[in-house]
Amino acid sequence: MDTLNTLLMGFISIVLINNLVFTKFLGICPYLGVSGRIDMAFGMGMAVTFVVTLSGTLTWLIDHLILMTIPGLEVTRYVCFILVIAGAVQLVEMYLRKFFPSLYESFGIFLPLITTNCAILGLCLFINLWEVGNLLEAVVLSFGAGIGFTMAICIMAGIRENLNLADVPKSLRGAPITLITAGLLTLAFMGFAGMIK
Amino acid sequence: MILADILQLWNSAWPAGVTMLGLGVGFAVVLLIASEKLKVEVDPKIEQIHEVLPNLDCGACGFAGCGQYAKAVLERPELIGKCAPGGAETADKIANILNLQISKSGPSKRPVVHCRAHSEDKTYYGEYQGIQTCTSANALANVQACKFGCVGFGDCVSACKFDALSIVDGLATVDYDKCTGCGACSKACPRNLISMVPFSQENMMVVACNSKESGKAARSMCKVGCIGCGICSKQTDIFSIRDNLARVDYEKYQPTEQTETAMNKCPTGVIVYRGKTAPPPRPAGQKAVAASQKS
Repeated sequence: MDTLNTLLMGFISIVLINNLVFTKFLGICPYLGVSGRIDMAFGMGMAVTFVVTLSGTLTWLIDHLILMTIPGLEVTRYVCFILVIAGAVQLVEMYLRKFFPSLYESFGIFLPLITTNCAILGLCLFINLWEVGNLLEAVVLSFGAGIGFTMAICIMAGIRENLNLADVPKSLRGAPITLITAGLLTLAFMGFAGMIK
Repeated sequence: MILADILQLWNSAWPAGVTMLGLGVGFAVVLLIASEKLKVEVDPKIEQIHEVLPNLDCGACGFAGCGQYAKAVLERPELIGKCAPGGAETADKIANILNLQISKSGPSKRPVVHCRAHSEDKTYYGEYQGIQTCTSANALANVQACKFGCVGFGDCVSACKFDALSIVDGLATVDYDKCTGCGACSKACPRNLISMVPFSQENMMVVACNSKESGKAARSMCKVGCIGCGICSKQTDIFSIRDNLARVDYEKYQPTEQTETAMNKCPTGVIVYRGKTAPPPRPAGQKAVAASQKS
């Protein structure tokens, strides 16, 4: 029961309170770049969720089984994690291409782009920073981070779809209004701060 | 002293190196195995066809992009001529790759806006202040008197991927230098005002009106509307009148003296040239006789 409580709290915390996009400002480039249409944003979110769960789990394992057991190896965390993420993305891409060609087509360029999504590397490093003790918690946190990212990018895409119909002043059209929207959205989510822990 | 430092550095660095190398090799092996096991055979012809396509992803062929079209055309060669921006040249290249021979297709099609009324020529009953798109403006009746003419909010402009359309004084205007003939604008127009016409000449004669109103109503709503008087159809059988509106038969169309006369005799000047080097239309309201005397 206690474990379940911890897991649930961790999940809610990473989705709403410590959302990578809103509070840590990670993964901003896909957040602004691919949030033009809701279906594309959802596709991107799903791809990120998939990869972040996989790489979060893998990096936790590598971190605890190799890097933490040998003293002095902690410094290679960044390089190792990036290696893991890139490898995982490649593997996922091949797998999808073979077994789910339609899904592969719809992901298109997003899948290789995820390699450079800083939200994923950030999450892997945060899991270490927060000293997550067991594998299950790491998996739940990684999955929650992906869900949080999907939620953020879908909200943004919904707002931007409606913004297309709004009468925006000429000087604010395009990037400026998007950045203002992102700022307001972040402010709104700041309201959750301090709800847990 | 220095040697000791270097040795210390080495001692602390080699485990990191070995780990990195191990991880790298490990992933390399996994990916190598995966790439062998999960290999997807791709026909090299798809790649070749994709290369000769214009790579604009405009969707004129009915597929999501050039990649999908390349795949489809390989399986179903009857789709060869579907690439509008590439035209006959691309069709020939694809036919070469597929070892096929194709007969020459007709002249390429270009969009024509069947309206010539600028804002000052039209009659408005009110001012539209809603969402600035043609589709929503069209849904609201009785703002613009003419139910058939250009609304002028530019749905076609935003549909065009080639920046070939613009709204000039409330009228959609095609830049035929930039146009590739993909037909996206003709699908976007909520009033079906834009039709794809086979451009057998550089400039084509066009009835720049779409109004099926009776002559009296058309004249009261628009200075340059077709009133269906039939003067043009008396000159040559290329023109015909149906539903109070003159039409051009593009199957038969050839620029002749009769078509020129028909254009000049048109009382509202609704027959105009459209194309790359089209002369400007007769000013709105100018008498037909005066124009024909001048030319």
